[in-house]
Amino acid sequence: MSTHLTNSSAGLLPRLCGADIELGNFIVGDERASGTGYEASRALLAEIAGLPHHQTGYLNNWWNASNVSAYSGYNSKPGNGTSTSALTCDLQDVSRRFLLSNGGCAYIDLDHVELCIPEVIDAFDHVAAWHGMLQITRDSLKRANQSRPLDSRIQVLVNNSDGQGNSYGSHLNFMISRRAFDNIFLRKSHYLQFLASFQISNILLTGQGKVGSENGRPFTPYQISQRADFFEILQGPQTTYKRPIVNARDESLCGRGYADEPSAPARLHVIFYDSALAHGSALFRVGPMQLILTLLELGLVNSRLILDDPLAALQIFSRDPTLQACAELIGGDQLTLLELQTAYLEEVKRHANRGLFNEIVPRAEEIIALWEDALNSFAKQDFRLLARRGIDWVLKLMAIERAMDQDSSLDWSSPEIKVIDHLYSSLDNDGLYWAYESSGFTEQLVTPERIAYFVANPPPDTRAWTRAMLLRSATSGSVVSVDWDMITFKLRGRYSWPTYRTFNMANPLAYTRAEAQHIFDNSLDFAELLDALESESFDRTITADALSAH
Amino acid sequence: MRFLQRLNLEQHLHNGGDGGPESGDALQQLRSEGDSLLAAGDEAIRRALANSNSEEFLRTSRQQGGE
Repeated sequence: MSTHLTNSSAGLLPRLCGADIELGNFIVGDERASGTGYEASRALLAEIAGLPHHQTGYLNNWWNASNVSAYSGYNSKPGNGTSTSALTCDLQDVSRRFLLSNGGCAYIDLDHVELCIPEVIDAFDHVAAWHGMLQITRDSLKRANQSRPLDSRIQVLVNNSDGQGNSYGSHLNFMISRRAFDNIFLRKSHYLQFLASFQISNILLTGQGKVGSENGRPFTPYQISQRADFFEILQGPQTTYKRPIVNARDESLCGRGYADEPSAPARLHVIFYDSALAHGSALFRVGPMQLILTLLELGLVNSRLILDDPLAALQIFSRDPTLQACAELIGGDQLTLLELQTAYLEEVKRHANRGLFNEIVPRAEEIIALWEDALNSFAKQDFRLLARRGIDWVLKLMAIERAMDQDSSLDWSSPEIKVIDHLYSSLDNDGLYWAYESSGFTEQLVTPERIAYFVANPPPDTRAWTRAMLLRSATSGSVVSVDWDMITFKLRGRYSWPTYRTFNMANPLAYTRAEAQHIFDNSLDFAELLDALESESFDRTITADALSAH
Repeated sequence: MRFLQRLNLEQHLHNGGDGGPESGDALQQLRSEGDSLLAAGDEAIRRALANSNSEEFLRTSRQQGGE
């Protein structure tokens, strides 16, 4: 079996996307100096089923990391950044369990429940899979609260800051070529600045909106981005302090043993964005980024779109919901947030007309059309339409201003207004977004049927399909550890001695339903199933020779 | 200060008071339908605020750690 991933000209690699998204979780009415995240996160996660069963804490995770690899046959290189599986798990992550339903996972990261969406290729599938995970979590929250007294209910928020100076992430992960990764972080500084400037201008469509300011920033009534207050440097590998606009964490999740392989794909870990509830904002976190990353892959970087001072521009733009403020580009032009985002769209459209995104970004034309439609609505200041079309910060602002209109005692400093800010993203019955969605006010970009599909099924076109099917096929006690690119099973060997067997899935674009369904259908037992899967060359070489066609 | 009301007023003046840019019947219908549907959000806000102590809610919402 070939386990060699090659993407020497990876412009044609589909822009695979995943996400790891933290939730705010606490117990309403329970005042403790250190907060109630510890108890709330554990009570919620206990209601989310998955495998393996036995990872319940730091000690167990450490045990697995130390012992399983000894049986796995890996040339493990902890800390090499190739995969989280180099350590089996991140030691700060507790009770990680992969879902048999859709191949995603959930765990606790520093007292926050964290949801990971299974790998998808299509941005619309990302929206559906994300809402599928939210549905799973809403159901879990309901079960968790059923056994709790009314004055001790768990509250779960899909937001990114608590309004008290603490921020938690909503990270996206995009597969890019090693060459592109190195260009961004090691070789070509204008690539980094192009990406940073795009991300900043993209808050227009992706911000969830926030009342007030944090992290020592000056007061502002309302800002577009929840995360803007927390970005302090342009790039860096860290996520918990001095947060960078462009995160440089190098961790591919495409199999150990490829750390030194120059042709192995890399992962761009995007920590910049807010969590999204509305379908429009959820789509615009992923679709436009897929297009922009394709430009970066192919070296189509227009340096005229680079902000002179990205960090200052982010503060200026986020704090101006009237969209009148300007920031300077390196060429001296002064652009508004809308003008800069429109310039990126025009850049994408110019290349789309040449068919550049065909076979790389699924439904690229639809993404571009929606992107253009949203920007046109901003240009017309048609905020009612933008709220209906699912731009979170606009919808939240509309809700808040209507509340102020109906109660003249409320202003921007009222605690009730901050509560509305939080409850916009609540997963419980008091969630304002869900009220707008169920009333029919917000338009849906993916159908309820597609969301229901991802509640119960993995994406058919990535390795998530085989991951979920293997977890369903194994006896639950046999699953020792699971990671994105490997699963280790404990099987009965000769004379009933246990043997450990690790199944590797380095290539996230392989192990699809089309490739593997017949093997699952035809295998007589689990060992035979693993034999048959391993006999296929799913970790095949990925080539992109047709790149020259562009 | 109301951000959206201010913007909508500017839009109104910019368009000569005709109620907004012309974008077709379907979009106009989408906007007008929104009025009645927004009431669901208003009711959800009223209910949430009536059933909670806002200051206590904010004190207990502290979130440490993460990422």
